[in-house]
Amino acid sequence: MTRKQKRLSVIAGGLAFLGAATGLTFYALGQKASYFYMPADLTTTSVQPGQRIRLGGLVEKGTIQRGQGATVAFSVTDTHKSVKVTYTGILPDLFREQQGVITEGTFGPDGVFVADSVLAKHDERYMPKEVADGLKAKGVWQESKSE
Amino acid sequence: MVETGHFALVLAFALSLVQTIVPLFGARLNNQRLMAVGGPVAITGFALTALSFAALASAYANSDFSVASVWENSHSLQPLIYKITGTWGNHEGSMLLWVLILTFFGALVAAFGSNLPATLRANVLAVQGVIGAAFFLFILATSNPFVRLNPAPIEGRDLNPILQDLGLAIHPPLLYLGYVGFSICFSFSVAALIEGRIDASWARWVRPWTLVAWMFLTGGIAMGSYWAYYELGWGGFWFWDPVENASFMPWLAGTALLHSAIVMEKRSALKIWTLLLAILTFSLSLLGTFLVRSGVLTSVHAFATDPTRGVFILCILTLFIGGSLALFALRASRLTAGGLFHPISREGALVLNNLFLTTATATVLVGTLYPLALEALTGGKISVGAPFFDLTFGPLMLPLLVLVPFGPLLAWKRGDVFAASQRLMAAFASALAAMLVTGLFIDGASVFAALGIGLAVWLVAGALTDLAVKSGAGSVAPAVMFRRFAGLPRSVFGTALAHFGLGLTLLGIVATLSFGTEKILTMRAGETVELSGHTLRFVGLYPAQGPNYSEDRGRFELIGVSGSPVGEISSAKRFYPVRQTTTTESGIKTLGLSQLYVSLGDEGKDGSVVVRLWWKPLVTLIWGGGLVMMAGAAMSLMDRRLRVGTPSRRRKQASVVTPAGLP
Amino acid sequence: MLFWVIAAILTLGASLAVLLPLAGSSKGTLSSGDHDLEVYRDQLSELDRDAARGLIQPAEAAEARAEIARRILRLHDVDTAGKTSARQGSVIARMVATAAVLAVPLVSWGLYSQIGSPDLPSLPLSERLAKNPADSSVDELVARAEAHLTANPSDGRGWDVLAPVYLRMQRFSDAVAAYRNAIRLGGDSAVRRAGLGEAIAGAAGGIVSADAQDAFEAALKLDPANAKASFYLAMALAQEGRNKEAAKAWRAMLGTLPPDSPWRGAVDQALAKSGNPEIASGAAAKGPDAVDVDAASSMSPQDREAMINTMVASLDQKLRQNPRDPEGWMRLVRSYVVLGKADQAREALNRAIAVFGAGSDEAKKFTAFAASLGLMATE
Repeated sequence: MTRKQKRLSVIAGGLAFLGAATGLTFYALGQKASYFYMPADLTTTSVQPGQRIRLGGLVEKGTIQRGQGATVAFSVTDTHKSVKVTYTGILPDLFREQQGVITEGTFGPDGVFVADSVLAKHDERYMPKEVADGLKAKGVWQESKSE
Repeated sequence: MVETGHFALVLAFALSLVQTIVPLFGARLNNQRLMAVGGPVAITGFALTALSFAALASAYANSDFSVASVWENSHSLQPLIYKITGTWGNHEGSMLLWVLILTFFGALVAAFGSNLPATLRANVLAVQGVIGAAFFLFILATSNPFVRLNPAPIEGRDLNPILQDLGLAIHPPLLYLGYVGFSICFSFSVAALIEGRIDASWARWVRPWTLVAWMFLTGGIAMGSYWAYYELGWGGFWFWDPVENASFMPWLAGTALLHSAIVMEKRSALKIWTLLLAILTFSLSLLGTFLVRSGVLTSVHAFATDPTRGVFILCILTLFIGGSLALFALRASRLTAGGLFHPISREGALVLNNLFLTTATATVLVGTLYPLALEALTGGKISVGAPFFDLTFGPLMLPLLVLVPFGPLLAWKRGDVFAASQRLMAAFASALAAMLVTGLFIDGASVFAALGIGLAVWLVAGALTDLAVKSGAGSVAPAVMFRRFAGLPRSVFGTALAHFGLGLTLLGIVATLSFGTEKILTMRAGETVELSGHTLRFVGLYPAQGPNYSEDRGRFELIGVSGSPVGEISSAKRFYPVRQTTTTESGIKTLGLSQLYVSLGDEGKDGSVVVRLWWKPLVTLIWGGGLVMMAGAAMSLMDRRLRVGTPSRRRKQASVVTPAGLP
Repeated sequence: MLFWVIAAILTLGASLAVLLPLAGSSKGTLSSGDHDLEVYRDQLSELDRDAARGLIQPAEAAEARAEIARRILRLHDVDTAGKTSARQGSVIARMVATAAVLAVPLVSWGLYSQIGSPDLPSLPLSERLAKNPADSSVDELVARAEAHLTANPSDGRGWDVLAPVYLRMQRFSDAVAAYRNAIRLGGDSAVRRAGLGEAIAGAAGGIVSADAQDAFEAALKLDPANAKASFYLAMALAQEGRNKEAAKAWRAMLGTLPPDSPWRGAVDQALAKSGNPEIASGAAAKGPDAVDVDAASSMSPQDREAMINTMVASLDQKLRQNPRDPEGWMRLVRSYVVLGKADQAREALNRAIAVFGAGSDEAKKFTAFAASLGLMATE
């Protein structure tokens, strides 16, 4: 190989590498990013059982049931619709009735959302940003409502 | 005292303006006097910032609630250590710490830069000055820590309980030393672009600064990871949280910079690339500051969300990243390219390293910014978490880690892969053995686990091989070998240590992910549970009172083989009344290199408690490896080559140095 | 004043940092080429060391040496081309220097005068707490007590003093903790238990919870005459909707309370609210809530009397508008007796009898009740 050919092959190799990395990144974004939904969104979009999503909303009052061991069942609501969720594990310290949560997991075949993580990260108003935005968009929650 | 600090801060801002303008004109006009202003001004500016910071810290330590930021983030009952660390446990104070470190590094350049060409030194200080001026203005305009309250409240609103931990004393200062350390590399690059030439001393200066910044950033990230691990009570050490990524991106780019700076120093090659990388690394540091400080992301790090702050930082970001890249586009063609090399050589290996690391940085960048961009453009909300990074970052790191041991064994200019492979036979054999042992003898080991352990051993053994080969093992007598080993340049040890540490971290990650076990159960006092061969007895829940919290402490006894307790673990639920916040204090018992991790959950009505237990084998290696990497960087810094002397002194020394002269 | 001196010194120092280098002598420095040359020399000597140690092969060393030599040669080309005249632009230089020296005091004093608060002294908490108690605000006194108790957490008496203060400041959760500490360290007492109960109830927004109830019951066990405990236990009944039982309990209290007890007014009000909803809803007068009563107990005697007088007057007014309220009349009569106003008590009794008719059952009851208080109808 001449020097020029060598250089060309090095450049081609580098470009192929970058192309592969870019392709992989976009493939992963399409496959592995989990979308955020509120319960009412689920009537308009179809989510397959087994597809990973994040479900946010308020913990509906009076729905927290502690089952066997560390399994907890509760409903997540955006006041229009609510979705049943089960979770096995330790709930975050900030998990309370009528406060915002984000759960991540998949729908089981029976329509119950099986969460493998429950987040109650919060700003000053005990509301995850996504949930607050979602509730605002639905006209359920206004800034002024909280002190 | 408080107002003295405030005044000192304003004065430091005024000096940063002088530091920006005067040396820049001096360098342009080749006026010695104007250029000479940079040094004393940088040092005085640092002294004033330090005074300002000391004033704020003393207001925190003495619970001076006439200072708004103290009132919002402190409480008189906090232990003194948390009062002091609370100084930077909030947005305003942490930004003051940021500029304190920035001016500190500027002062170091001023104090020890007398051996730099005068114009380069002046330009570097000017660029440091303009970064400082921008951030001083940001602090004074949007985040002034010295805003006063009159009349002063008698009690503060307490520091966020999650931050009331020793981690706050260590993690942010280390991280900022890293972030801001890269500002020096940035300033050197921009100064070179302004001058239109890269001096030979340029690389000699940029490399140690990269090492310093990289060392602290490594420590900061490792410490942050350990802090999240024990404080958040989820037992995870890395969450691919955008805020974590914000610190990880400069680390990856900085690691690339560290390696390309070697090529530049040794071979005068890759000059333009190194310069660009230095700019990008600091830009990523700034981006990290923006993501964390603007309130774009919600996390424990977003102390307060104020849109004007976000817009201000975005302006700073645009100014510095846009400005430096535009300058690069204009001037890069004037810089001369360096030496040539064969693709298979030490340089080639380092280029490959850079290719992988920068691509990996790009994937992390995409994964971090894509959700933000998508939300801004379409309003759709997605989260990009571990599954995305496993699929993109993982495959990029894998070949890089395989290649790491080859790099140091290849010669400059033209290397011999075959010879290097031969030398690595022993390392390869031990990696293979580790893989087989893992796969065949450990129950439940997956292919991933076996490969991962093998790769980690490959890295560790490869680092040792490097040292052995360079000492002449196998070809010279043991006595000669020992003498050679002792005489190896420190930077060789540094490289080996850093690669060794990388292997340890990987070993910790793979072992914890593959062989870690977990149990969630409800326990009553007196019950026992077994996890991976360890028996724990739940003694009971005991209420206790802390200085500014009350807690229910769950005590556990570790039962030995004989049936008697051999140790105790306790985990607690703490309630901080001022903020009405509950936190979980995890209980951790370190056994060898592994840890038993206990986290308390909700209390049931019948006196039972939800308990989550983890067995985390070799988990301490994850952060231990980080410490070893830091030690490697420190070792490299001690290399005599990096102690660049002044021309006059060097001339005398050069005549003394004989071939036999040891350091 | 001290602050301005310090500020002036700092400004002077900062200005000198700019001024001194400008005034200093302009010594000739080495060109950048000299610096580069030193680096290359160092690289050469390093190469020699590596070669001597056997780290690189002689052939490679020779090649590397040649390369460094080429760099040094190239350096000379650049160096001869890059000599420029330094005399240019001395006017600009002087202007920049002047502007820089002036900028330091102007920018700093100008900006600080806009955003600073030079008149506000530092206020470290320890200093604020150490000053003369007479000059301190209530908040500061409380903070001082808190600081003392942080240092001496086993001072039971301190908790005992602080607890009711918290209660009055409506810092209920602090009051709960303080009462618990007082009980733990200073021993059980009816007053502490009752205070604890009130604090728990206060923290729950006035609802007498089971915890509060336990505390009140414990207080009554220690001192059956504890008015606060009896009052709140009756309140608990009322909150459960057992108004009759509550009223009965309150009425029983009225029988046993000493005449000067501040609780009488509270009990009267509570009875007015619970026993006769039509009166309570119809009347505008508002009874003292628990905090008022507690405040009454800490008032000066004059203030307290004034408060009670107001309360009695409002009851009197109510009965004029709504006369058919036997309980109310009896309370009014008793109130006047307690206040030592026998004439008004007698007048009230007569009015009451007039309302229901002299021969009615109520009238007989009133007469008997008045007799028990040592009061006769019209003489």
